[in-house]
Amino acid sequence: MESFRQEGRWSLLAVVCLAVTVRCAVTAMFPSLQQQLDQQVEFSTPMTSYKSLREGLFLLRHGLPVYSGGVVHQPPLLLSVFSRVPNCCHRYLYAVADGVVACQLMLVSRALFSRTPGQRRVPTWVVGLLFALNPLALLSCVSQSTVSLTNVALSSCVYCAVVLRNTWLSGVALAFASYLNVYNAVLAIPLFNAFNGARREVCLFTSVFALCLALLLLLSGSQGNGGAFDGSFLQATYGAMIRFESVAPNLGLWWYFFIEMFQEFIPFFKGVFNVFHVGVTPAIAWRFRGQPLYSFVISLLWLTLTKPYPTLGDTALCFAYLPLFAPLFGYLKYPLFSTLLFLHGVMLSPIFYHLWIDLGSGNSNFFYAVSLVYALALGSIIADFVWAMLRMEYDGGSPNYKRRLTQI
Amino acid sequence: MGLFETLQRKAVKLGLLPKLLAALPLLSALTAVVSVVMILIIPMNGQYRNTYISENALMPSQAYSYFRETEWNILRGYRTEIEVLNSRGVSASDRYDIVAGWLNEFGAKTAVYRNEEMGDTLYGVLHAPRGDGTEAMVLCAPWNNSEGEFNIGGSALAIALSRYFSRWPVWSKNIIVVFSDNPSVALRSWVEAYHTSLDLTGGSIEAAVILDYPSNNDYFNYTEIHFEGLNGELPNLDLVNVAVHITQHEGMKVSLHGLPRSELEKNNYWSRLKLLFLGMKDSTLAGMKKAHGNEVFSGWRIQAVTLKARGEGQIDITTFGRIPEAMFRSINNLLEKFHQSFFFYFLLSPNNFVSISSYLPSAVLLSITFAIAAVDATVNNAYASALHITYTLLAALASVISLLVSFLVAHWFLYSTTSPLYLILGSVVLAVSPLVMSRSNNALREPVCYRMRTLGYIYYSLILTSLLMLNFPLAFSIGLFGYPMTLVKPLNIYSKSQMSLKLRNSVLLVISNPFVATWLICTVVENSEFPNLDVFAALFSAWKDLNCWTWFVLCLGWLPTWLLVTFSSFTSIPAAETTIEKKSN
Repeated sequence: MESFRQEGRWSLLAVVCLAVTVRCAVTAMFPSLQQQLDQQVEFSTPMTSYKSLREGLFLLRHGLPVYSGGVVHQPPLLLSVFSRVPNCCHRYLYAVADGVVACQLMLVSRALFSRTPGQRRVPTWVVGLLFALNPLALLSCVSQSTVSLTNVALSSCVYCAVVLRNTWLSGVALAFASYLNVYNAVLAIPLFNAFNGARREVCLFTSVFALCLALLLLLSGSQGNGGAFDGSFLQATYGAMIRFESVAPNLGLWWYFFIEMFQEFIPFFKGVFNVFHVGVTPAIAWRFRGQPLYSFVISLLWLTLTKPYPTLGDTALCFAYLPLFAPLFGYLKYPLFSTLLFLHGVMLSPIFYHLWIDLGSGNSNFFYAVSLVYALALGSIIADFVWAMLRMEYDGGSPNYKRRLTQI
Repeated sequence: MGLFETLQRKAVKLGLLPKLLAALPLLSALTAVVSVVMILIIPMNGQYRNTYISENALMPSQAYSYFRETEWNILRGYRTEIEVLNSRGVSASDRYDIVAGWLNEFGAKTAVYRNEEMGDTLYGVLHAPRGDGTEAMVLCAPWNNSEGEFNIGGSALAIALSRYFSRWPVWSKNIIVVFSDNPSVALRSWVEAYHTSLDLTGGSIEAAVILDYPSNNDYFNYTEIHFEGLNGELPNLDLVNVAVHITQHEGMKVSLHGLPRSELEKNNYWSRLKLLFLGMKDSTLAGMKKAHGNEVFSGWRIQAVTLKARGEGQIDITTFGRIPEAMFRSINNLLEKFHQSFFFYFLLSPNNFVSISSYLPSAVLLSITFAIAAVDATVNNAYASALHITYTLLAALASVISLLVSFLVAHWFLYSTTSPLYLILGSVVLAVSPLVMSRSNNALREPVCYRMRTLGYIYYSLILTSLLMLNFPLAFSIGLFGYPMTLVKPLNIYSKSQMSLKLRNSVLLVISNPFVATWLICTVVENSEFPNLDVFAALFSAWKDLNCWTWFVLCLGWLPTWLLVTFSSFTSIPAAETTIEKKSN
């Protein structure tokens, strides 16, 4: 047992080192890659791009109003943390962030599989390796989009809730995740499941989360203001995201609707899209209340699918959790279909964007069509995994892959 | 949902799914055949359309063209002067200074772009009397044309035309007249410099017309129009239509893709099919073949066509000059960039075309052929049900390695002087090596073979899908010529009739090797242009000089899959046997 632990520790260290080294090496070998990726709509959006972060840092360092220009959408504390690190060292920060995610993933997978012995499992190091070498995670990290930092916060939240079972810490981590992207606050609902319905714990979690988030917001508002609260950042960060102010093409489902729609209907449909985005999470959390991590990951996938500003970095984190559900793989009905769909969506989207923007021989419909393929792929993955879990529940937790069932 | 449910239950009852899975190899072959048949159907009556001008503003030949006899004398004058320049052996830089002097006489601002390596380019800008100077049209005459002939008529025509244009007050777009040493690298470097570093510019270039008249004869017979760009790009169909319409309106015959005079009047199934294939060939080989001049404008949102005067006949040179005149009048009318009409099309005759919706499905089917082959390699063997994560990871590792190897091969042959002969020899040796390998050398486990094939086919299918909008002809060709890869059968040490299977595999692998196939095909269809192994030199220079990435498509798209399939064709050991061996140890 001890030797197993020891072995696990070494493989854990190796995978984390590999993740960090590969990221640093890619950045060092291709110095212009960061800028190229930062211009790719698949990896960076107005809300998360490194270019706008740099702009914010410049304004901050020169004592200019950061949010009045409408370019910077990153929250103030993130800017002030980054402003204390020299620009040339940011890349290492991102690499370390991904290393932390890989480490937490492996710890989560070990804890999870040790709790359910006898089930089909994926080796811990494979789980870590799949994230460390996932090209999407790798490129997203190299692009230095702030999605990587949101991913750390979310992954820490899962780690604290599943492995440490620490209500306090998971509340704090989720507060950070919500501070970076306000929509992550709804992930509190599937996290309630992690406390096995203990009302005290849920109350504690909610209050820690709310207090911490409020504290973060207060700190942000009173920064560099001599203590007086200045709420202008709320509008530039969360307001701009919720109201979808920068209508730019991305992999999501939102932008095309709002460039096509008549002006009068836009506010109403922005509300509808927001409700659509957050409204499904409670349902998922309630239906799968017995499976805390599963309900969390499915909610995360849903949020990634319906985000106003999605990137492939978000998807990379969701996919990193899927190997943890190895017992469900046998129930999947069309994994090859989903894989092919996803691969085609990811491959074709930069090409169709190039045809539209660079060559001018395509148009926006091309790119939107591919982003629909991508959305369909995510949708089919969600549907397939939901089916698999329902089958697992039907079989009462002990998989019987041979039994054939059809949906009604 | 009721109907769907009934169908599903019926399908389950009849056991359709297992039957379908068993028929996958057949299905894969079927999609490939259907794909080719769909291309053969296109030239049939009712499948194609007549061309039409989609953008109303263009109005080709609606205004009277005045470039006639009065200008002929001026044209002859310039031509005599150029002949004198040429016979006196004036150096290239002096030549351009003298021509720049002529252009300055009627108010063009001129500059010479010097490029030691690629060749010099002289260009002059005529500012638009009625425009804001943000848009431009290019009139271009390479000093020597694609065959290396002295483009004397074209140069004289370009100068005479710009003099004639300078007297007109109708222009709303700047006119840039360009003279370059050759229509390929020199012109390409100028286009690149125009968009990056030049001081004298005339705004964004909307369209370019390249004149090619390599004789000092006043009369010619018919006009060739060349339009296919690099990397599968095509100019907007409206511009090609305008060129064809005007040429025919002026009473000339139009030849596309270099058809000879005797075949211009034909319009039947076979002539249309021929033109379709010529179009696919020219588009696939664009950049590798000698550039006419329109290719080099690719990638900058510039619609370009080359007009080439051919033969000896009754039509005089001013008639040829009226084509660019009327084209410029049409383009001058545009209020927006070219956006109507089609960017993806094939011309089946000067007045017939098919748009992308007719021919795209056949390339999609080819991609599906490989996707089905991938499913077949996953499902139809003993290792389908189990997860086999180690084997899958091993196969993934093999894919990454083959991709790396392909990357290295691509760069090694591009930048070293190693003869491409080794490329072909190496491929053939690799393909026939299973024939001579002894049984004891086998180290491959069977599941790894199947996983490698799955990954290889999926990769190829992805490559085909991503290419099919960018460069349909290339996607279709590599899909078709790579098809034999799906017929390669894996074999283990217990397979019957090993030798004949191995022989079959080796033959299939040799003919579907990217380099062997490219060499064979180019030797067959373009022997005059690519004798011996010249096709590889052409591929390298197309990338280095013109940024045409066909070489990388072959190396990074085709080669990795071929390597994976080749390795999977080595005789393998079934997975069960290895476990037995372990136990006995």
